[in-house]
Amino acid sequence: MEAKPISYYLAPALLVLAALLAVANWYLEPRRAFPSAVAFVLIGCMVVVLVLASRPSSNGAARRQAQDSVRSGIVFAGLMVVLSLSAKLWTTLGNAGGREFSQRALMVILGAFLVFTGNAIPKTLTPLAALRCDEARVQAFQRFAGWAWVIAGLAFTVAWFAFPIPTAELLTVLLLPGVMLVILVQFVRLRRARQRAA
Amino acid sequence: MSSVFKALADPSRRRVLQLLRHRPLSAGELADHFPVSKPTMSAHFSVLQEAGLIEAEKTGRTIVYRLKMSVLEDALLGFANTLGWKMTPPRAARKTAALAKE
Repeated sequence: MEAKPISYYLAPALLVLAALLAVANWYLEPRRAFPSAVAFVLIGCMVVVLVLASRPSSNGAARRQAQDSVRSGIVFAGLMVVLSLSAKLWTTLGNAGGREFSQRALMVILGAFLVFTGNAIPKTLTPLAALRCDEARVQAFQRFAGWAWVIAGLAFTVAWFAFPIPTAELLTVLLLPGVMLVILVQFVRLRRARQRAA
Repeated sequence: MSSVFKALADPSRRRVLQLLRHRPLSAGELADHFPVSKPTMSAHFSVLQEAGLIEAEKTGRTIVYRLKMSVLEDALLGFANTLGWKMTPPRAARKTAALAKE
């Protein structure tokens, strides 16, 4: 029997935990029902996506890969919702520091998500027959984008983990548009090189 | 993950990956860089394919190999090249082999 990825178990577990936390938040603060309602809608959407992604199919490996990536996305989203709701519950119960912890943890998870997606960029291959430009340049661009995204994600994670919040915010503002700009410049550079070669 | 380490442990397979870093190459073009037989090269290709580091695509009558490495695997390849990883059998197996020789 084929071993199932950890996201297979983690995604539904996180959604159940998120639902429980949303109920607890609603129970403790019934007057502030709107945020809890929003959380329920979010969790509901994720449950629907998870159920749709878990349907058996005869399409084989490609379908399984797509299902795995949907589940991984739900794990990251679920982690974010669980953290937010936990921090809210922590504050509602009269403890201090929940807000800062929640903000830092969310950003660290977001950084990890950037690393995760960047890591997979070079693995996404388009069939050679479907490519409309030089395959060497496409490969070079994908590798560059993957590396840039992973390094940015790591820097983002470290910034939110170790630096004071104002510094981390400043770095976020500089880092994400910066990496997008660098990737865009590389895209234009490779495209121009192709035009010159043609 | 162990299949990735196994694939990266061999210098010839690492060289294949380095060649594919520049552009996708056909099986013949890749084989030209190595002084080994075609079946040996095919074995290397299948180990790399099993590890998910390369992908073979048939275009006409030739098979074109393309790099399919994540950033982490790319970094591992860099480390392997720098440190010159080489697969060695476990100490116990080496001892048994030495005893058998005696």
